[in-house]
Amino acid sequence: MSHTLRSQRLGALFAAGWLLLNFPLLGLWDSDLSVLGLPLFPLALFVIWGAMIATVAWWMESRPGLETPVASEPELPQVQVRD
Amino acid sequence: MLPAPLVIGTSLAYLLLLVGVAYWADRRAAARRSVIARPSVYALSMAVYCTAWTYFGSVERAATGGMWFLPIYLGPTLAMVLGWTVLQKMVRIAKTHRITSIADFIASRYGKSQLLATLVTLVAVVGIVPYIALQLKAVSSGYALLTSGSAVAPAHLHWSQDSAFYVALSLAGFAIVFGARHLDTTERHEGMVAAIAFESLIKLAAFLCVGVFVVYGLFGGLGDIFAQARARPDLAALLHAEQGGAYSWARWMGLMVLALCAALVLPRQFQVMVVENVHEDHVRRASWLFPLYLLLINLFVLPIALGGLLYFSSGVHNPEHFVLSLPMAAGQNALALFVFVGGLSAATGMVIVETVAVSTMVSNELALPLLLRLRLLDAAHQPSDFTRPLLMIRRAAIVGVLLLGYVYFQLAGDAYALASIGLISFAAVAQFAPVLLGGMYWRGGTRAGALAGLIVGFGVWVYTLMLPSIAKSGWLDAGFLTAGPWGIAWLRPESLWGLQGLDSLTHSLFWSLLTNCAAYVVVSLWRAPSGREASQALLFVDVFRRGTAQTPVFWRGRADAAELKRLCERFLGAEKTRELWRGYAKQAGLPADQALVPDARLVQFVEAQLAGAVGSASARVLVASVSDEETLSQGDVLAMLEEASQLRSYSRALETKSRSLEKATSELRSANEQLKSLDRLKDDFMSSVTHELRTPLTSIRALAEILQGDAEVPPQQRQRFVDIIVQETERLTRLVNQVLDMAKIESGHIDWRLADIDVRALLEKAVATTAALLSDRGAEMQLDLPDALPPLHADPDRLLQVLLNLISNAAKFVPPQGGRVQLRARGDGQGLTVCVQDNGPGVPAGHERLIFDRFHQAGGPTPGGQGTGLGLPISQHIVAHFGGRLWLEPPAPGAPSGACFCFWLPWHPAFSGDTAP
Repeated sequence: MSHTLRSQRLGALFAAGWLLLNFPLLGLWDSDLSVLGLPLFPLALFVIWGAMIATVAWWMESRPGLETPVASEPELPQVQVRD
Repeated sequence: MLPAPLVIGTSLAYLLLLVGVAYWADRRAAARRSVIARPSVYALSMAVYCTAWTYFGSVERAATGGMWFLPIYLGPTLAMVLGWTVLQKMVRIAKTHRITSIADFIASRYGKSQLLATLVTLVAVVGIVPYIALQLKAVSSGYALLTSGSAVAPAHLHWSQDSAFYVALSLAGFAIVFGARHLDTTERHEGMVAAIAFESLIKLAAFLCVGVFVVYGLFGGLGDIFAQARARPDLAALLHAEQGGAYSWARWMGLMVLALCAALVLPRQFQVMVVENVHEDHVRRASWLFPLYLLLINLFVLPIALGGLLYFSSGVHNPEHFVLSLPMAAGQNALALFVFVGGLSAATGMVIVETVAVSTMVSNELALPLLLRLRLLDAAHQPSDFTRPLLMIRRAAIVGVLLLGYVYFQLAGDAYALASIGLISFAAVAQFAPVLLGGMYWRGGTRAGALAGLIVGFGVWVYTLMLPSIAKSGWLDAGFLTAGPWGIAWLRPESLWGLQGLDSLTHSLFWSLLTNCAAYVVVSLWRAPSGREASQALLFVDVFRRGTAQTPVFWRGRADAAELKRLCERFLGAEKTRELWRGYAKQAGLPADQALVPDARLVQFVEAQLAGAVGSASARVLVASVSDEETLSQGDVLAMLEEASQLRSYSRALETKSRSLEKATSELRSANEQLKSLDRLKDDFMSSVTHELRTPLTSIRALAEILQGDAEVPPQQRQRFVDIIVQETERLTRLVNQVLDMAKIESGHIDWRLADIDVRALLEKAVATTAALLSDRGAEMQLDLPDALPPLHADPDRLLQVLLNLISNAAKFVPPQGGRVQLRARGDGQGLTVCVQDNGPGVPAGHERLIFDRFHQAGGPTPGGQGTGLGLPISQHIVAHFGGRLWLEPPAPGAPSGACFCFWLPWHPAFSGDTAP
């Protein structure tokens, strides 16, 4: 099935999202630091969330690259024949 | 404060606008220009997930627990990451089997079980009534806040004076308009979906507006709010994860699991995601757009909560209403009204979709089976068209569910905050997740297992979450909470088996889902699935393996076509039935008026059509009432499947065979065409060659005959004739040589002598050789060569032949006076380019390709009759042999006239071995 690669990637992303958005990895951000005046913990949550969404969007909208396995062929010098 | 008529008027105008949107979408759908057939609209309609609870409750949660409002939105995001696989499968199954609701889905999977459908419907109703109460509470308290400045309605109003009662009634009216105006066999409501998508935009816009207003209007930006919050210890704690308790992370994960399940199995989510789905592929866009919507609507929740807490330092204002009270406190009444409309959007959207979904379930899975059982639907008692009663049941169900919601609101509304009510609801419907997901991926799940799982899970939910919430509202003695029923401590509802440390929701979720899954698996494994269970399991789990045309039909028995048709007419209407019958006949390739054979496929077709209107379980009962069905065993199902798959593999093999046969035929045909054209070429070649040979032969013969027959020819004339004869003989020789060359090149028998060539020397040699010819024509040669060129690896003699040919061609066409031939050479990293340019008339338009054909001479016979018409083709072959190409440079606009022939050769040709020395 041509969906296999994409399904596997999404499965991996699901696992990664589950880990990143749960204890203990999420706890790493729980500190008093702030970035540009924004507290780190809420900021980290939104950034991780946004990155997940962006990744899904990227994989979902770049259709042709994923549906057919890409076999990159070495580029041969092209001989054009005009006759 | 705002005058009540203004608020009511605006709300009504807004709801009427929604009806307008729905009406417009329905009109467009009827004209086959659907507005909802877009992935973005599909994604927006999913945002019905964000109800008044999101709108008001999230801020409240953020004000008390910081980021703890977020797991409820992270769960659906993770669910949508798997949307591509899971949701798409749900959509495919639902479309294949004409599923109309989640109860139908689950019942259909487990052998079209009526009992299961009823149970799921009951759980759904019990689960969503609190949720509907929550929407009523949000709207009515928002209204109270806007009009009286206080969210608390005057205590214990009579229902006839209570705004929530009228909210409930008007919402019921709108839900009927959107969802139960007419009966559709696929349960799709285009207008409703369009209105929901529109509402999603409004609620997002309103929430963002109030967020921007709070952050930048009341405060000096995000940094300012957070800086002020950090300065107060009670608010600084909200910026952290840890909100007390060692098990708080388990609670975080529990909320995510809950939301993940809810996003898939909430009746309204199932309705918009699966039933209303127009095209499977829309899932692709929705799987990131819907999470993006959730992210946007949550962006300002924490800032608004903190802003409210900072702004109203005294704490008299309920955080649930910060989105309204903050703009009002700042005198922004128009903004407050807009925000109220946004909240109204969130509430109405949820209520409409949820009640429509539940009314479908109630009518198909509760009312209809009851009527069937009571034999109230026999043809003798009922009008032949049953669509009207069905609609009436639905409308009654909508009103009933909303009134139940109102009663719940009256009884329990004050006891709980919005957010808690929502979570209790979520936990109830989450009980569907194991049987639903398990059914999609595990063939072993049986009806008994599903029933056991649901009953146990729902029972534990009632015991551990519902009863305590009732007790806390004061209608039950709360003693059993602390001491346990009959004093048995390990049965305490909120610490079952002594499990302590978890909050009540996580505790309930843990036990209910655990026992649910365990009962489902254990009971399923108790005995093998029956034939019907096995067949439905196969159809569900392997839905992607077979196309609709190849679905095996698991039915055996006797039926009567006329009876089946009558059944259809009763439930779908006469006209629709005629249409369906025509469609079926057409698909089967039968004439429209011919009586249909009541085979298994027809029975299945009728059952599927009825399932779209009354649910699969009722449809099965109805079909069984007019036909004689044999009970299938699991072995029968497997045999039928085997048969179907054998048929399928036969047809696939046949397809492969016929495809390869087709391919072979086309290959043969093209080979034949090629042979024919080669044959034609050979004939052309022969006739050209003989023609070319005849011309000089004719003149030689004529002159020779003159010399032979007339001794009186003057010596001067004789000499001239002999010269011509010699010239023509040379031409003949040349022609024959070239024909031989051509033949050798084409057959690959030529000897190529490869050497490193000094290009400059070779070009100069070519110029020297043609110097006499050029001076005869009065032409001048210009050389344009770079100082140094790398050596070229090729056959010097053949290359010289090419050069001589091009230069002599040029010489032939230069004008008698002022003729000029230019020879240019350029090298680059790849190879060498040589051009021969003349200032003659150039190649006539249209002949650019023909000149490379054999025996074609540009512009008719050349002056002096020197051409053979083989020069260019031979040159082209030679250049091509070394991996290069020869072409006619297209005349540049504004450049001097004349033809310019160029060739390019790589410095080191890559050969195919056979011709290398």
